[in-house]
Amino acid sequence: MKKERGQAKTMIIDRTPWIALIGIVILLVLPVFIQSPTFFQFMILILWYAYLTTSWNLVGGFAGVLPLGHAAFAGIGAYASSVLFIHYGLTPWVGMFAGAFLAAIVGIIVGAPTFKLRGAYFALATIAICEFLRVILENTQKFLGFDINGARGILLPLKGHSPINYQFLDKRYYYYIILVMLAIIFYITYRIAQSKLGYYLTAGGEEKEGAEALGINVAKCKLIAMAISTFFTGLGGTFYMQLVHYIYPRGIVSLDLSFEIAFIAIIGGRGTLLGPIVGAVLLVPAAELTRTYLGGSYEGVHLMLYGAVLMAVMLFKPRGIMEPLEALYRWVHGKFFLQPLTQTDRGE
Amino acid sequence: MDIILATIINGILMGSVYGLTALGLTLIFGVMKVINFAHGSFLMAAMFLTYYLFRLTGIDPYLGLVITLPLLFAFGYFTQQVLIRPVFKIERDVREPISVLMLTAGLWIFMDAFALALFGAFYKTIRTSYKGAVIHLGDVTISLSRLYAFLTTVILAILFYLFLKKTRLGQAIRATGQDRDAARLMGINIDRIYNVAFGIGIAIVGVAGAVLLPFYYVHPVVGVVFDIRAFIVVVLGGLGSIPGALLGGVIIGVVESFGAQFMTATWTEGIIYAMFISVLFLKPEGLFGFKAEW
Amino acid sequence: MRKIVTSFILIVAFGVALMMWGTSATAFAADVVIGNILPLSGPVAPIGKVGREIREMAVEEINAAGGIKSMGGAKLKMIYADSRGDPKVAMTEAERLITAEKVTCITGAYQSAVTYPSTEVAERYKIPYIVPVSVRDAITERGFKYTFRVAAKASWYARDQINFIKALGERTGLMPKKLAFVFENTDWGTSTAEGWRKLAKEGGFEVVLDEPYPANAPDLTPVVLKIKRAKPDFILFVSYIADATLLMNTIAEHEVDVMGMISSGGGHSDPQLIPNTGKNSFYHFDACEWEADLNRPGLKETNKKFKERYGYNISPEAANVYGSMYVLKDALERAGSSDPEKLREALAKTNYTKGPGMIVPYEKISFDAEGQNPQAQLVVVQIRQMPDGSIERCTVYPWAVARAGYEPIFPMPSWKWRKANGRAE
Repeated sequence: MKKERGQAKTMIIDRTPWIALIGIVILLVLPVFIQSPTFFQFMILILWYAYLTTSWNLVGGFAGVLPLGHAAFAGIGAYASSVLFIHYGLTPWVGMFAGAFLAAIVGIIVGAPTFKLRGAYFALATIAICEFLRVILENTQKFLGFDINGARGILLPLKGHSPINYQFLDKRYYYYIILVMLAIIFYITYRIAQSKLGYYLTAGGEEKEGAEALGINVAKCKLIAMAISTFFTGLGGTFYMQLVHYIYPRGIVSLDLSFEIAFIAIIGGRGTLLGPIVGAVLLVPAAELTRTYLGGSYEGVHLMLYGAVLMAVMLFKPRGIMEPLEALYRWVHGKFFLQPLTQTDRGE
Repeated sequence: MDIILATIINGILMGSVYGLTALGLTLIFGVMKVINFAHGSFLMAAMFLTYYLFRLTGIDPYLGLVITLPLLFAFGYFTQQVLIRPVFKIERDVREPISVLMLTAGLWIFMDAFALALFGAFYKTIRTSYKGAVIHLGDVTISLSRLYAFLTTVILAILFYLFLKKTRLGQAIRATGQDRDAARLMGINIDRIYNVAFGIGIAIVGVAGAVLLPFYYVHPVVGVVFDIRAFIVVVLGGLGSIPGALLGGVIIGVVESFGAQFMTATWTEGIIYAMFISVLFLKPEGLFGFKAEW
Repeated sequence: MRKIVTSFILIVAFGVALMMWGTSATAFAADVVIGNILPLSGPVAPIGKVGREIREMAVEEINAAGGIKSMGGAKLKMIYADSRGDPKVAMTEAERLITAEKVTCITGAYQSAVTYPSTEVAERYKIPYIVPVSVRDAITERGFKYTFRVAAKASWYARDQINFIKALGERTGLMPKKLAFVFENTDWGTSTAEGWRKLAKEGGFEVVLDEPYPANAPDLTPVVLKIKRAKPDFILFVSYIADATLLMNTIAEHEVDVMGMISSGGGHSDPQLIPNTGKNSFYHFDACEWEADLNRPGLKETNKKFKERYGYNISPEAANVYGSMYVLKDALERAGSSDPEKLREALAKTNYTKGPGMIVPYEKISFDAEGQNPQAQLVVVQIRQMPDGSIERCTVYPWAVARAGYEPIFPMPSWKWRKANGRAE
């Protein structure tokens, strides 16, 4: 890590490896203390969302645009790996990379013209692409000889406890898989944020013309970010498929999921390393708990809270929850470590 | 052949309603450069307002506009004043005000869920005196409620156009949309213009709600159905253009109606998205090259 | 290091809170806890709402009548979980109901797409899952031991609808020849249409239109005009309530004259359909699991009680739910225990032929090796105007259970005549 190149978006970035390491260690040993499958199901959801939002953040956060159709790439990943599994018996452990590569290729094809658009146009284009893919999937029974089954979707043949086929009866396996996946995407995001690419992305997102004047190929940087982001989103789609064993177009290639991903990342803090994870850790349980306790008795109340939280964050902390968290950290730092932070620490 | 004619006529009638829902969006989009994701939810609110007015007092949706329009204008005005303005201010100089976008998305979810809790998840319809009434032109049947909707749209669009061109307030709105810093220097109260523009945008959605209700249903998530089409219409017609919004709406309506005769209705949805994406990529200024009004 | 300690404590506290959350809501030992997964929010929330109401009524009756007698009068305790119509949410909820709420049995979940993966969760935990209504065939074709379905499969809809059209043709001497398939484009519609295609071919019908449509389309006039152009004799529908309302009113507006129309329950069985379409719904046939005028002992009273309480008739889905609750009670009596394994054994041996739950049109409820009730069949109703002017659904088929004095009106009169004679809006 060369500090002078470290174009930290936030000052926490310098401590991020430590925070992340501690988090991962805690999450790794957690199953020793807690056995409840409900808890794992719950943690898997949080980690899955954290994973998807971290992948999203590469484009939505660092590249400074607002993609609202990322569910499409999760869908591509899930469909591709499942179709290969059903037709050729190819294990999803391999199939998921095929799906992810396909997602990345589509991501590049889609990204090339889309990145020329700005702001609202970009957001609308990604929405339209996601919906377009859903319509195609819903209306296609067979594609290149593979059964897509249109709106009915694909059922994964159940193999019981079969690690070779990415199917487990015990939730803990899924928990560890998604934890490792999250660690990987987090590490990659961290390295990108430290690299030239991360710097170019940030610069291209904020001052496109200026960056171009300096000779940075902004479009190429964004495409690289898009490819990485969609690749990992595709892997996340396969994970979802292996967890649920069933997929249909509206169930995954939906604006609901696309918006959720964007919401969580934005509430947590776009373009920060920890923001998407913080967002997922706070929002997913909030949504789950309100749904669990209120959903059954009062129709729609959990969604009301969800909308209200989103509005409140936008009104009071438009840069996401990471902003007050950083302030808190700075305060704690000053209070207990008695060393004032230097300018470079703040990354300004 | 008559059926083909009927599909085109139906497409134009329904398309005009899409255009009408897009009109308010194009105004807000044009002046503030913000997509109002809660647009469909405002439509839903307008439809519920019209619905209960009709159920409780028997006032026809069209007459009821006298009551619903001021209410919706106020609703829009204060939504902008209280919720959107503070966020908008922070991002005033950011070229892509994404926080505002997200705020309206939050408002959208909130309003839909609130309506669900308040009104329950029922599909409600009203029975006006002209419900189901049709006129026959040869073998072509035209629904009277849809014809009324079409005529209202055309009249409203003309009035709105004149308002923007001829009145001081309209000119101020256009000036703000064109260059808000210049407008400020000319002594225009930008904040107030934003509030008014938002209020007018929502009031226009109120008209859309009133003309839809006689032949449609109202439900807490009814807005979502029209939301994405409104976005598409706005882009097809060219951002900020009033004739563009109407023409864009009619194109969507005709493609949907006419296209369904040659393929299944599920594919026409795909055609519309494909059209939208190609216009975004190839001709982002809109299909017709209409100039924005601001 | 203090910040690390602090965050560690925070995270541990978070975990502990979660664990407590997971174990807090346990019921009294004597109760039998039943988990219910329903779409309580989202587009099909009205159906979830009725499903919840009928469950509440059935369970109150069972508890008021002394609970499960073989278990010392144990009461049934219902826990409701909102699926939002989302399979992923339903799986989480199923898992929560089983592990945290310690339910003996689950019922639900209405939408096939939701039932399918959530039954799999129950199978894994070996918890019986009663499916009153979810039509996808595959739900009881996976060799599962813990899934029990009371109502008919999707393919049986197609079977009974085509049989009805044939029977109607034979009875009246006017055999419809050209069929139009109009169905919403999700799992439900597409799998029903698959059955239609096969049976229409076998039955020698000509299919003039095979049209899926998106259920959330803002305008269905194009589809209606397409039907008009195809000139079918008989239209077969699969629709939810919003699209059913639009289709019915638009068909009336554009005066699409056909011999008859038959739908597949769902939106066409929704209590809101008749208020929303009024006279436009006359003469429409609907194949469904149940109807309020079936000749079944106790049915009138149960329906009256429900109507007084909630303001509308029991829906076909609700009737199957009601029957399911009594099947569950019957099985619990025989199991004499809230142990899921014992309950499963009892459910598998079910042979329910009389009791309050027999408001369903089947001779009995039992389950085959795959958990399907083989007796499940459908009834066909026709929407008719009563002498007092009210609009009712009259059972007309099978001929044996039809409402006395009501023959199906077939073919349906032309729209011109109907509009001239006050039989349309």
